[in-house]
Amino acid sequence: MNTSAKEQQASLPSERLASFAALLRDHGLVVGVTEQQSMLQAVLYFGALQEKPIQAAWRAIACHTHREWKLWPDLYERFWHPEKLKGGVKVSGQTRPSRNLRQSVQAMHEQMDTASQPGSQSSAPQTAGDMPAVGLDENDSGSPRAQGGASRTEALHQRDGQMWMPQDLSALQNLARQITAKLQARPTRRWRVAPRGSRLDLRQTLRRSVAWGGELMQPAWKVKRVEPPKLFILADVSRSMESHAALFLRVARAFALEADARVFVFHTRLAEVTPYMHRDTPAIQEKVNAVTAGFGGGTRIAASLQEFTRQHARAQLNRGARVWVFSDGFDTDAPELLTIALQEIRARGARITWFHPTKQVPSANALQLSRGHIERFVPMASLADLAAARHVLH
Amino acid sequence: MKTPGPAELPASQERLLRERLQVSGYLADEDLSTTVWLASALQRPLLIEGDAGVGKTALATALAQSQNAPLVRLQCFEGLDLAQAAYEWNYGRQLMAIRLNESAPNGTGRVQEADVFSREYLLERPLLRAISQAGPCVLLIDEIDRADEAFEAFLLEVLAEYQITVPEIGTIRASHIPQVILTSNGTRELSDALRRRCLYHYLDYPSLAREIAIVKAALPHANSRLVEDAVQFVQRLRREDLSKIPGIAETLDWVRALFQMQHSHLPEDMASVLGTLGCLLKTREDRFSMSSDRLRQLVEGRRTVGVAENSNEQAKVAV
Repeated sequence: MNTSAKEQQASLPSERLASFAALLRDHGLVVGVTEQQSMLQAVLYFGALQEKPIQAAWRAIACHTHREWKLWPDLYERFWHPEKLKGGVKVSGQTRPSRNLRQSVQAMHEQMDTASQPGSQSSAPQTAGDMPAVGLDENDSGSPRAQGGASRTEALHQRDGQMWMPQDLSALQNLARQITAKLQARPTRRWRVAPRGSRLDLRQTLRRSVAWGGELMQPAWKVKRVEPPKLFILADVSRSMESHAALFLRVARAFALEADARVFVFHTRLAEVTPYMHRDTPAIQEKVNAVTAGFGGGTRIAASLQEFTRQHARAQLNRGARVWVFSDGFDTDAPELLTIALQEIRARGARITWFHPTKQVPSANALQLSRGHIERFVPMASLADLAAARHVLH
Repeated sequence: MKTPGPAELPASQERLLRERLQVSGYLADEDLSTTVWLASALQRPLLIEGDAGVGKTALATALAQSQNAPLVRLQCFEGLDLAQAAYEWNYGRQLMAIRLNESAPNGTGRVQEADVFSREYLLERPLLRAISQAGPCVLLIDEIDRADEAFEAFLLEVLAEYQITVPEIGTIRASHIPQVILTSNGTRELSDALRRRCLYHYLDYPSLAREIAIVKAALPHANSRLVEDAVQFVQRLRREDLSKIPGIAETLDWVRALFQMQHSHLPEDMASVLGTLGCLLKTREDRFSMSSDRLRQLVEGRRTVGVAENSNEQAKVAV
């Protein structure tokens, strides 16, 4: 611990600790009186000059989750060793390096990107200093997403109404939760113990009766176990769908998090992106872009669906599984092939819903031919469309 | 707070703890040993999170071994209840005692209630066993995220007060506070209340040097070039896009397999490496993505330097 610095500040160590705790609380760590007492105790144990063990001890005391664990080194350095940080940092409750406008705008975009991943509310940049930058950006919300800095969605065209604000993302997440709750669960043949069940669990009842010398005093009950349906999302990311890909992937991610959906993207080939959807790194969009980059040679929907059925889904594609295809239906394969591919999915008992970005059902030949296999067509060009469709998705 | 004397300085105690852990075959880094020491000093449970196979459970085993204390292990699972975790009456023995007493020839033997509800008819399950130990003991509550919320709530009382209440007997208080280690794989979010009771440590995959040291400690007879090459390969493999990243246990398995096959270094031909790769890659997709070409690339990540040097030397010779 840098005691000399503390003495220079002419403040009591406990006060200094309290303001450190305030900084930690600002960043979402739960540091109450108990934690502060423990932290002081650790200082007393190790002596105030032993920085390394104290740092480790404080980390163990103050952090309670993995997110906080990762946040710690930065916060610690910021408060106790501001001289090591680049940029001017004032040591108070609200510390942050000063940024110029460009950095602020970029940081805001990053923040929006990370906000799309509910697990990681990175609260760090949400200090008062960021606010003017937000205001600035609202004035020209029609401009491309990054000004001056590198854009992570550079490959895509300019999109109107595609600015994703944090409240949109939470609305989407809520919507996904509602729809997931409405997906009908499938009863299985298995039973599970439940306090208010419909059937007597004889084995458990007899086991309990031992306590009363064999008298059946305390019956145990069981109910049928239900399984939530498996959800597969296949998003078309070919050139023709370029402007919708961002929406599709956001929706897909929301369901990957809420309903544990498996997400695939396809153009001329099919690739699974579920792990990217779960991992909460800011680089996620770049990774998905990388997967989807470098094509433009059309869409092979039928071949992709076939690959999905035969290689990826296999046994998981059972009765009650839901397959959602996000596509406009323009296929470079022969139209009959799509019918065959969809038939194959239907044969496993899965139910297919087709989400199209147009208002009307696409007039693509292949889709018209295979209408019989598709349970429902749902338009999805915006979040509002998905909200409107939430009553028909079950 | 009294200042500790020089003999019991925390720093030296902590170093001692680390050395003891090392003797028991667990190489802890400084932060971890500080945290473990602090947990025992503050008498708080220690919650350890991390991916599967980074040595969470091994820490508890090594800790028990280093202190010569018994390890009491509670493996959590869905539907774990009090009867399996804390205590249960031995109904069979109680009934038998009553029957025997009834049939005793001198009809005086009326059995008292207190007789059959005494400690000798109580089946100790892990939590009670840990609390009623006479000496120091390590209680490992493994994979707490698999138990349900109700059990977690019950655990709060045990971990805060170190006592268990049996209605028929009364409260059983720990004479020696056990050192509690909880592990979690993060399959479910634990409650804030439980998290706040515990010290927290996130175990990550070890660095190259530390992993080499770990493997060497576990397999002292293996050729050190084999160990270094293999660990380097595993470290590189972890950076690949795998669905199940191999942990330390997998590395140990793999090096052990190579050692048993009497390799003194990583074999040149990839077919024999592919055969042993089952020790490292545990899912079909991962196994599928590692073709022998990809494998060669990964292994040669180390060798490209050598090749370049060689070609340089050859160039020099040619000059």
